[in-house]
Amino acid sequence: MLRNITLNHITKIEGHAKLDLAIDNGKVTTCHLSATEGARYFEGLVKNRKFYEAHEMTSRICGICSCGHVVAAVQAIEDALGFQPSAQTFRLRELLTLGERIRSHATHLYFLALPDYLGYESALAMAPTYKAELMKALGLMKIGNAIVKLLGARDLHPVSATPGGWLHLPSTGELRAVAKELEKAKKDAIATCSLFASLTHPDFDSPSEWFSLKHESEYAMLRGDFHSPRVVFECHKLHDFVREYHEDYSTANFVVVKGGRQYMLGALPRLNNNASQLSKDAKAMVKKVRLRLPSSNPYHQNLAQAIELIHAIDHAHDICSALEVTDEKPPKLSPKAGHGIAAVEVPRGTLWHEYTLDADGMITYANIITPTAQNLLSMQEDIKRVLPSILGKKKEDIVMDVEKLIRAYDPCFSCSAHFLEVNWDEH
Amino acid sequence: MSTESVAGWQGCQAPFRGQGSRRIYVFGNEHLAEDFLARKVAEHLGDVTIVNCRSPDELLDAPDETIIILDVVKGADKVIILDDVTQLRTRSPVSMHDFDLGYFLNLMKGLGMEKKIYIIGIPQAGDPKVIAEEVGRCIKKA
Repeated sequence: MLRNITLNHITKIEGHAKLDLAIDNGKVTTCHLSATEGARYFEGLVKNRKFYEAHEMTSRICGICSCGHVVAAVQAIEDALGFQPSAQTFRLRELLTLGERIRSHATHLYFLALPDYLGYESALAMAPTYKAELMKALGLMKIGNAIVKLLGARDLHPVSATPGGWLHLPSTGELRAVAKELEKAKKDAIATCSLFASLTHPDFDSPSEWFSLKHESEYAMLRGDFHSPRVVFECHKLHDFVREYHEDYSTANFVVVKGGRQYMLGALPRLNNNASQLSKDAKAMVKKVRLRLPSSNPYHQNLAQAIELIHAIDHAHDICSALEVTDEKPPKLSPKAGHGIAAVEVPRGTLWHEYTLDADGMITYANIITPTAQNLLSMQEDIKRVLPSILGKKKEDIVMDVEKLIRAYDPCFSCSAHFLEVNWDEH
Repeated sequence: MSTESVAGWQGCQAPFRGQGSRRIYVFGNEHLAEDFLARKVAEHLGDVTIVNCRSPDELLDAPDETIIILDVVKGADKVIILDDVTQLRTRSPVSMHDFDLGYFLNLMKGLGMEKKIYIIGIPQAGDPKVIAEEVGRCIKKA
């Protein structure tokens, strides 16, 4: 018996994706997960623009990850120009990225993932019963937003970061005020972890290799090597170990690591690789919720995000309570020919920006590889793997199970270039 | 009339410098021709404090018991006043890009944040001064 299933709109993820399945006698013969967004052309848009324009333009790739795109672009341009930012500049970039991570994780966990687990269509339907939980979510989103606004001068698409430094600096007093709010938000992050630990996560082992940045002295976010349990790659050698390729059925590229292997990015791989560098309370929470690391179960991504919320709040608090802001003006960077690569850990995984500049500082080449593009093959192969065990279920339940798996990856298809309608033919 | 962007981390709890007796929360994207008329109209309103909102979640912190929102309404050919947020068409968010004003107002209601909310909806195009006169009358009614 041949069954063809086409899932044209997969819900509660970012952007548009489609899944085509063909099943013959209980065997999956076709499984194509594809991003169906129109091509975005951002890499072409920044070509022949000045080096200091890249971050402003690429931040528009996505509102949710706009801070990550800004920081990645700025750091890649600085790499091309051979510029090393000050310690203060670096710490404030970390803080901006942490604000975005708190906001993104809280939103994804409560508004997109939790309704799946509790059997609701949406958070709106949950509101009367889960008021306390949703208020926690809103509080966490608020503090994340507050950090982004303070650093970036607006809540989306920050405008104050620039190659070399910051066009606008927060005052030390403003950082201290945020530190106090972070102290209050901490208990909500802890409660979020307890909540997600109490949920039943399906058992599943993905064969994907997990990758993230890793740095000797910190829970890596803006620097480090690209690391899995088997290999370590220097980020500058990106093209030696990462290969992008196109499939006719998808507008987004697929990405594999050397040897053609699928890999997984995001909060869980970061925990797998860097758990020993989590904050004290985040480490204690890993033990308390009995999350066995390393885990190759993508459904644990949500719990990993909840643990990262605690770490992000602790890390942001450390910065906000200790940094004495000095009035550093960004230096005027002289244009020169060069090539730069930056890798940044954004909520969904490792984001790559790469630029080549000519002697006048014009961008002659740009390459951006988003976490969702890198996770695409892993998601597709995981679906293929999980399907045989759920084929006996009703059509709607299969769709729900597949969506839940994809949502565990927290993908953002709008970055890579809605979610699951089923066309189902049985023969 | 005074204008205050909601800036800084306090959101809508930020101090307002306005002399106006009522706060009007204005939405719209100044970069989109079809979405910025509310901001233009707000410039012509008298005796109110304008709060330019960038994100609907800013309303969660609004201190007012009665919240008056000014925004453009696609398809409207005159100024309308809406006092029941359930009349707003909402959809389940399929992504984090979908948390719009209607969603947040319904979420506030679902969470039991019992505030009276009036939405003054204006057409996407027209003379800001003329529309402001009508909006002024709506504010008095609200």
